[in-house]
Amino acid sequence: MNGSLTRIGAVVVKEFKHLRRDPRTLAAVVLLPVIQLLLFAWAISFDVDQVPTVVVDFDHTQTSADYVRAYDASTFFSVVQHADSLAAVDGAFDANSARVAVIIPAGFERTITGGGRAQVAVLIDGSETNAAKVSQAYSVALNQLYDQNLTRAWADQQGLDLSGLGALQPQIRTWYNPDRNSTIFLVPGLMAVIIAIVTVQQTAVTLVRERALGTEEQLEVSPIRKGELMVGKLLPWTLIAFADVVMVILLGMTVFGVPMRGTPWVLALGSVLFVFASLGMGLVISALAPSAETANIIALLVAFLPSFLLSGLAFPLDQIPAILQGVSMAFPARYMVTVARGVFLKGTGFMELWPQLAALAGYAALMVIIAARLYGRRGRR
Amino acid sequence: MAEPEFAIKVTGLTKTFGDFTAVDGIDIAVPRGQIFGFLGPNGSGKTTTIRMLTGTLRPQGGQAEVLGTDVVHHADQVQQRIGYMSQKFALFEDMTVDENLRFYAGIYQVPAEEFAQRREYVLRMADLVGREDELTRNLSVGWRQRLALGAATIHEPELLFLDEPTSGVDPVARRQFWDLLYELAGRGVTLFVTTHYMDEAAHCNQLAFIYRGRIIAEGSPSQLRHSQLDQRIFDIAVTDADAALDQLSGTSGIDDAYLSGASLHVVTPREESLTADDLRRRLIAAGFAAPTVREVDPTIEDVFVNLVTRHR
Repeated sequence: MNGSLTRIGAVVVKEFKHLRRDPRTLAAVVLLPVIQLLLFAWAISFDVDQVPTVVVDFDHTQTSADYVRAYDASTFFSVVQHADSLAAVDGAFDANSARVAVIIPAGFERTITGGGRAQVAVLIDGSETNAAKVSQAYSVALNQLYDQNLTRAWADQQGLDLSGLGALQPQIRTWYNPDRNSTIFLVPGLMAVIIAIVTVQQTAVTLVRERALGTEEQLEVSPIRKGELMVGKLLPWTLIAFADVVMVILLGMTVFGVPMRGTPWVLALGSVLFVFASLGMGLVISALAPSAETANIIALLVAFLPSFLLSGLAFPLDQIPAILQGVSMAFPARYMVTVARGVFLKGTGFMELWPQLAALAGYAALMVIIAARLYGRRGRR
Repeated sequence: MAEPEFAIKVTGLTKTFGDFTAVDGIDIAVPRGQIFGFLGPNGSGKTTTIRMLTGTLRPQGGQAEVLGTDVVHHADQVQQRIGYMSQKFALFEDMTVDENLRFYAGIYQVPAEEFAQRREYVLRMADLVGREDELTRNLSVGWRQRLALGAATIHEPELLFLDEPTSGVDPVARRQFWDLLYELAGRGVTLFVTTHYMDEAAHCNQLAFIYRGRIIAEGSPSQLRHSQLDQRIFDIAVTDADAALDQLSGTSGIDDAYLSGASLHVVTPREESLTADDLRRRLIAAGFAAPTVREVDPTIEDVFVNLVTRHR
């Protein structure tokens, strides 16, 4: 046992030496999480705010001008251009200078003062789906609001009391994230990506590299057992992965104000299970990949991309095609993202999250078993 | 426990991969303290044999005792006491000389005080004193080779396996390396060496030739040179050895002809009456200028080529 620890220790020291002499990998595991966090927080914002809007007013009346001011007054839209033809809208969309166009037809004021319902066209550039969806919802709400204001103004003029009618004011509230701040939504999800990169990718590559160097052959002849070598090689990456997770959480909570509403131990349990699932995945890749380059690419395909695209991190899971929703079930990242968001943002506990935790546990067990089988077959032929 | 007389004792060792028999019932006995040369062309079963003797490959049949212990069933008892070095050198190039030694010392659990002594010894032996903190990748091949030997012997093994340790190393470094091997043997370490350099084979106490998984000859270098060959060898020095080879190959009275270093070797049956003068006359008749022909004692290489040709 004592000898075993000495041998594992020698491997751990060696792995950290490799890391110290490899600035690119060191940067990938230490700086990348921070850079990703900052990118998500500031550069790639999924928030919808101050949507550039172009207005085409064919009516040119006081009422149409008031209507346009309603758009400008909301923080949601920002009127950047007044145009006088529909062709100009195309131009603005193509140039990306506007994403929403409001077209007020001639006769707008006449219809309203006549007590009828005026038609207004709102065109939305659908090429950015997320913003498009939200813009649509907002403009509908804005129109309703404006419509009621008009109704009220008209009623006032007629000397009617509308308070009894209980005119409705739409109020949109976003639960759990009232400011619709995507950063606090992204930070918990980022944990999954970071664990996947550090553990799956580095595990896969580090073991294949040892094989290519001929040092694995040397170590087979030595007293070190396969399991000891494995533990020694994986331990550093496990530690780094947890250090990264803690770093992202602390940065998220202090700099970006991500709340911690749930119990941290549920998050810790989820993280441990996800780390084991990822290590197992890395081991399986390293057993199958012929070279470090191949291992790297496979790791990218099965770890990084699913944890980024199919986990609910970048796109809500209910908005991706059904077939991809099915595919996402095959990767552990979605469960990790659900657990992390649940604990951070909703204060969800073990009772609600146990299916996800069970999925992660099952996944981890499966991966470790497959990896052990594959490695068992490699040794002692 | 009485010290076993043999460092390696193998009987009927067999390994098959599917339909292919890589090692076919070989017997080997290596007395302690010897330099044992294991020779054979590529793919003849040398590395497979070493892997079975070091406990990394399980044989289908036969017994293998290494340092008195059954290596097939108790590999872990043997592995602490043996060393291994291959032509790949198994050094971590992004680590320093000292870090490499420290790593292998950890793997073999060499105690700290012992390591300090061993480290001193290895650094002196490999001529690396003062370069402890240099990255291994910056060392020349000869130095890396000596460092690899030092790393493979950091735990003072009783038996050292060397699988083509001198491949790709220049002649001067090879000579220095063999001096180190002699030094190890002088301290009582048994060496099991594979090589395809025939001049190196002559450095061994005992040789075995393996071909297609079978041992086709064994003995000391001088025994092999004299008993194995029932033929005569002529060494021919001529300006265009290639053309002379074409000229003489397959002509009457000649069993075999091949290039050996800068000259040409011609093999004739022992009972053949062909003389050196006859061969010289043939070459002059064919237009070769001033060939020198003399009958020579067979070298290990002659024996080797001859054995392989006979078993083909």
